[in-house]
Order: sequence, then C-alpha cells, then structure tokens
Amino acid sequence: MLRKLWQVLFKRRQRRQSSGQVRTGSAEKRISSELPVNRERIKAAFGNSADLVLQDLETGAQGKVSALVVHIDGLCDKRLVAEVVIRQIADTEHEWNSAKQAYMDLKDRLLSGSAVKEVDSLDSFVASVSDGKCGVLVDGVTRGLVCDTRGWAQRSIDEPTTEVTVRGSKEGFVETLRTNTSLLRRRIASSRLWIEEMKIGRISRTSVAIVYISGVADEKLVQEVRNRLERIDVSAVYESGHLEEHIEDAPFSPFPTILRTERPDKVTGALLEGRVAILTDGTPFALIVPATFTMFLTAPEDYYERYFIGSALRILRLASFFISLTLPALYVAVTTFHQEMLPTPLVLSVAAQREGIPFPAVVEAVLMELIFEVLREAGVRLPRVVGPAVSIIGGLVIGDAAIRAGLASPAMVLVVAFTGIASFATPVFSLAIGVRLLRFPMIALAGALGLFGVVAGMAAILAHLTALRSFGVPFLEPLAPVVLSDLKDALLRAPWWALDTRPRFTGKARPVS
Amino acid sequence: MNKVEGGRISGRQLAAMLILSRIVPITIAFPLITGIEVPQDAWIASLLGMLLAIPFVLLVVRLGLRFPHKTIIEYSEILLGKCLGKLVGLVLVLYWIHTAATVARALGEAYTIAIMPETPILVFMIIMGFLAANAARNGLEVVGRAGESVVWIVLFFLVLMFVLPFDVMHFRNLAPVLSRGFRPVAAPMGTATSFFLQFIVLGMVMPYLNRPEDAARFSIYAVLVSGLLMTSLTVALVAVFGPTVSGLTMPAFSLGRMVSIAQFLERIEAVTMGAWTLSVWIKLALFLWASAVGLAQLFGVSRFQPLLYPLGAIVVAFGILSYESYTHLQIFHEFRHFGIFSFIVALGTTGILYLVALMRRSLSPGVRR
Repeated sequence: MLRKLWQVLFKRRQRRQSSGQVRTGSAEKRISSELPVNRERIKAAFGNSADLVLQDLETGAQGKVSALVVHIDGLCDKRLVAEVVIRQIADTEHEWNSAKQAYMDLKDRLLSGSAVKEVDSLDSFVASVSDGKCGVLVDGVTRGLVCDTRGWAQRSIDEPTTEVTVRGSKEGFVETLRTNTSLLRRRIASSRLWIEEMKIGRISRTSVAIVYISGVADEKLVQEVRNRLERIDVSAVYESGHLEEHIEDAPFSPFPTILRTERPDKVTGALLEGRVAILTDGTPFALIVPATFTMFLTAPEDYYERYFIGSALRILRLASFFISLTLPALYVAVTTFHQEMLPTPLVLSVAAQREGIPFPAVVEAVLMELIFEVLREAGVRLPRVVGPAVSIIGGLVIGDAAIRAGLASPAMVLVVAFTGIASFATPVFSLAIGVRLLRFPMIALAGALGLFGVVAGMAAILAHLTALRSFGVPFLEPLAPVVLSDLKDALLRAPWWALDTRPRFTGKARPVS
Repeated sequence: MNKVEGGRISGRQLAAMLILSRIVPITIAFPLITGIEVPQDAWIASLLGMLLAIPFVLLVVRLGLRFPHKTIIEYSEILLGKCLGKLVGLVLVLYWIHTAATVARALGEAYTIAIMPETPILVFMIIMGFLAANAARNGLEVVGRAGESVVWIVLFFLVLMFVLPFDVMHFRNLAPVLSRGFRPVAAPMGTATSFFLQFIVLGMVMPYLNRPEDAARFSIYAVLVSGLLMTSLTVALVAVFGPTVSGLTMPAFSLGRMVSIAQFLERIEAVTMGAWTLSVWIKLALFLWASAVGLAQLFGVSRFQPLLYPLGAIVVAFGILSYESYTHLQIFHEFRHFGIFSFIVALGTTGILYLVALMRRSLSPGVRR
C-alpha cells in the first residue's frame, strides 16, 4: 500500500531520473604526445585544485627526455612518491635513443617497485590520480603510467564502539576498505575467500567489495548481490546504510533485513555460514546478507562463552526484545481494562498511585515514552563532556519531578525506564530502533482495545515478519518455517561440537569442509 | 499446476493450522459441555468423536492423493463435470465462508461477553477480519508459518489452563461413567466429529504441500493432538466444576478464573483469551484463504489476492447477520443444527466425490485426468 502511494507521489521524479540517464558516453580523451598539452588538460580536469601536485622532471643521461609526475597531496605516501617514483626517474643515467625506449624502460624496470600499470586514455589517467595513485607521463608517448603509491592518514584499528564484548577479539573495522579486507583475510587464510570489488557512485566512485567464500556461498546468492549492487545509480555513496536502503528487500518495513556490523569476527562467522558480506570504503560498517531475525539477537560473545551462558543470554535478549515491544502496552492494557489479572494488593497500590494523575494511562505512557526518547536522542548527540549532565537531569530530575508534580505515576516511570533499558539489550541497533517505533502504535492499540489490541498488534507484526524475506531467505527462518537443524543456533546455542551443519537456506548443506 | 497460489508449505505447518482451527471452539459454546445432558461422559464423546474423524480425514487425503496438484474445487469439476462440479465447489466455498463468519462472530461475542462489554462487537470482528485477510493475502506460506510459530504459544497456554487449577480438581466428579448408557453421548460425539469435518479444507491445502504423501500422517497428528487436548479440557472442566458445568456460558474462561498460583498468577483468562485470539486469527486466515482461492478457481480468476479484503468484509457482515445473539450461536452449535449441517455439506460432498471417483475407476493409482 505504502509502495503504491509512494509511486503515485513520486512518479514524476522517477521519470526525470530515467531520462537523465541518456546523456552519458562522450568520447574518451586521448593522451597527447606533447607534455605541456597534457599538463594543461590535467590541470583543467582538476580545476587547478590546490592539492594537485605536478612535477616536471628530466631523465636520462643528458636530461634528454622530459617527464611529468602527477599526484594528489595527502592521498599518496610522500616518501613512497619521492623514493620509488621521483628518484627513479630523476637520478637515472641511462642512454636512451628515444622517448619510447625511455618509457618502456621506466615501465618495465625503473618504476616496477610500485605495481606500475599502463593506461591509454587521459580520463582513466585522471581517474587513477584521483584515486590516490601517482601518474607518470613521458613527452612524446601517448600512453601513461600509473604507480600505486596510495597511503593516507587513517584511524588505527581499535575496539568497535557499537559492539563491545567482554571476551573476544578487540579488533574492529576501520574506514579503509583495504585494511578491512586484510582483517578478513587474516582470519580466513584461504584462497577460497573471494573478494570482488566494484565502484558505485557516479561522482564519488566509492569502492565496494563483495566478500564470500567460494564453494560455501551459494553462487545464485552472490549473483543476486552483484545484480542488486550494479543496479544502484547514485552520485555518491556515503555509508553502507546508503547501500543497504538501495538493496534491501523490504524498504517499507520497520525491521532491518540486512545485518550491519563493525566486527570482523562476526563477518567471518557469517561468511563461513555461506553468507555474503559487503564492505564499503569510508565506513567501518560491513553489511551481511541474507540476515535473519535471530542474527539480530546474537552477540559474538554467545559463541565465546560456554554454551549454557550463551543460551541463557540469548533467551534473556529475546525476552527483552518482547519487553521493549510490549511492556508499556501491556501495562496500559492491564491497568485500563484488566485490573482483575493483577493480585489485589498490586491493583490497590497502582490505583492509589494513579489517584491524582490527570491523564488516562495511554496518554501518560505516550508522554513518558516521548520524554524518554528525547532524552536518549539528546544523550547520543551531545558532546561527550555534557552527556552525564543530561542523563542526571533527565533521568533523575525529570522522572522524580514528574512524579512529584503528579504528572506520572511511579509505576509508569518504572515501566518506561525498564522498557528503555530492555531495548538497549538488543545487540543490533537497527532492530532496536524499529522496535522503539512500533512501541507507540502498540500503546495506542492497548489504550483503545486492551489485551485484544496488544494481541492484534502482535498478530499484525507476526504476519509482517513471516512475509519478510532477506535475499530469498525467510526472515524468521529457523522459527517460521521451523528448521530443526538450524534451531541449534537460534534461540539457544548448542555446544560447538554439535554445531556441525550450515544453515539450510544459505551455504552448502554439507558440514564444514 | 494451477498458478493461483504459488506457495509451498510443510507437513508440520499443515498440522499446526489444523490444530489451531480445531481448538478455536473452546470458548463459544464449548460444544461438548454446554447444554449436554450427562457432562460426566463428555470426555467419552470427545474421544469417540476424535476417532470417528480419522476415517473422514483419510478419505479427504485419499481423494487428494489421486489428483496430485489439484484442489478439491478443481477435481470436483473433473469428476462431476462442469455444471455439477462447480455447484459442489460453490457449496464448499460457501461452507468455508460460513465457517469463517461463525469464527469471527464467536471472537466478537467472547470479547464482548468476557472482557470488554462496552466495546461494540463490530470493532473486534472488523479488526480480526482485516488482520486475517491481510495474512491470507500474503499466501498460504505466510499463514502456515505464522501458524507454526503461534501453535506452540497457544498449546502452552491451553495446557497451562487445564493443569494449573489442579488444586480444585476432584476427579470423583467424573463418576459415574455412562450412567445412562450411550444414547446421551451420541449427540455430543457427533458435534465433536462435525468440528473435525471442517478439516475438509485439507482438500484445498493438500496440493500445496511440499510432500503430499505426508498429508495423511500430519493431518492425523493434528486430529490426535487437538482431540486429546479437547478431551483433557473436558476432563479438567468436569473435575473442577462437577455436573453443573453444562450451565456455564464460557466454561474455558471459568476454568482460567480458577487459577491462583503463589498469590501472584491469578485469573489468567485474559492471557488464555490472547492465545485463543491468535488461534482464531490463524483459523480465519486459513478459511479466508481457502474461500478466496476456491472462488478464484471456480470463476477462473488468475489472482486470489484482490478477493481477500472483500471476502473479509463479507465474512464480518455475514457473521453479524447470521446469528441474533450469543444464545443463538450456542444453539446453532448443538448437534441437531450444526452437526447435521456439517455432515451433509462436508461428508456429503466428499462422499459423493469419492463414490463417483470409484465408479469412474479413476482411483487406480497414477491416473491423471
């Protein structure tokens, strides 16, 4: 329904976008044989940017051959450029008969310390330079050389901030794609770890890598991921969340159908289950597809601690998932419609607390939930120094004052606070946000129809979840449809020696090979 | 294979849907208890009714296996010819719509009587009709999966309901056994069987099983599980309330009211009601799906999805118009109305189809027409 509405509202915009696609495909610029012409063209291509460095060099015994070295300051390792490129070109005392010979010599011998590559057109030369490579042009030759001297300031590998564990690897992904793939490669030292790279974004040309284990991941799944990524037509990719919205199965669902993580060990586990990871340059968040509901309630620690504890923690998390979805709604329903369900002393004390409160329980619940959401949002956005102040004012002062002022009952504050805490027990933030949004309609249903409303809401959510798919895999996979062999690693975690099969819907069925 | 519905369900999902469908009538007019002459013997009626249902289920399965990938609507046309076959199909679809309407009305009545007397009955019926139509629109797969995940919750709460009041149970209430012979047991037994006759919806679901040969096994599981559950409920009810149980309006909820554990868990009937609501949802979705697909096949419509919301509305309206009051609903479920009606429609149609199939010798295995 939403999708149809969307199409009606935004039809015009879509049409314009599709007509805009026609104007591609102008002729590629060739490299001129005259150096000054190339120099001007490159300068023009970059709009004379301040970080563009052009160096004219003379090479050979008598300085007969002149060359042009181009790189972008800050994207290249300065020492590498100086030693591997400039010194090799400038210091050589070779006797060359022609520029052509000099070029071949440079390509095959002198510059070979830096993974040199040949390019034919000026466009690809410029593209390589803006990618952080160091370009070399020789006067009189209509081809260019590109040396890989990339190296830039990057955050060091440290503990992932959004997924903290007590036990387990402390390494997290960083913003550089190559570092991230190396983190995976170090964990899976096999040639069967395949990494396919593509560029997405017409202007940004962001590198995106599809990572999977050949022979474990289903070839059809990999092809599907490839297709979906190739269909993306945007000018820039900012973060993997941007890709996620373009390739997910159900863009109008409050539930995420793609798992994102900062932890290489989590990605490694998923890869070995036959899933596919998508790494994006510029963000530490990797995407894992297909993702199922139970994966969102799984923390890496479940696997590292002993299985009793892992299983208990999972049940606890599932319980807190339901609490964060339904507790305020249940409280509203019970206090408004079904007081008889509570033991008499509790009913009396709740009724006494609600004595002077001017609103019905629904309004009270929505108000308190809103206050909590505002506090949470403010706590996230504030500079770290001010954070504690907000939580003290918000948590203690507002809560206490609201009760004293007779705007909320202590029981309601307790319920809302506990719900808030419970929602933080969901290990993956994207699921927790969806649930937080769904809490409001649940409260409204409970306020209008009591327990029937809560049950109706749950039924609607269940119907939606069972209809969801993530890259062809039912979202509630081991639970509905029930897959007995996968239940071992869903709500409980069986001991490691019993986890000898891959998930039924991903990967090849045979045990680990 | 017909393209109206493309889903595939497993045997376990089929069993889950059937179990949920069968345990829906525990509230409205618990048919084995309300108005029965000798409540002490209700459990015998329930057990025998369950056993009687097994041959019927096998009959439906056998018919279905002879026409692989065909629904009962389609093969009735093959067996009886275009005119008569469509008539039988129409009767079946109307029967399913009527079943759905009754279930919807029962849900509304249960809520307005037991929990929320001030809310208009239409509110519950419309919301549940919408939810069920919405689930059914996503196809049989979604209904099956939802059923599979809901069935555990429902079974858990039902078992809780008849186990927890153990402290007030007096099994002496069950004596004497068969004090007045078999005669008063016959009618409630027929009622118990007639609820199982709703399993004729199997004829609609069977072609979409991923392994049709499992149909017999899993539908008999469903009969046994739900039948034994109902029997245990009757035993618990009579043990708790004694012979006066037949006068209760909604015996299952009265049972929930008796629960009191550790001075904390008291009167769980609202929770039981919630679990029961989930099973109503699945049953409604299943029967709405069956009628929509049936209608689509009868009239050669290529998609059944557009039929569901209108059908949901029809079911709600039908539910309102069919019964004047709760008492009317209860009286309808006595054997002389509901039982005979179900026997004629369900057993009659399958019986005719089976006989014709026998006569046309198309029952020999492997013959596809």
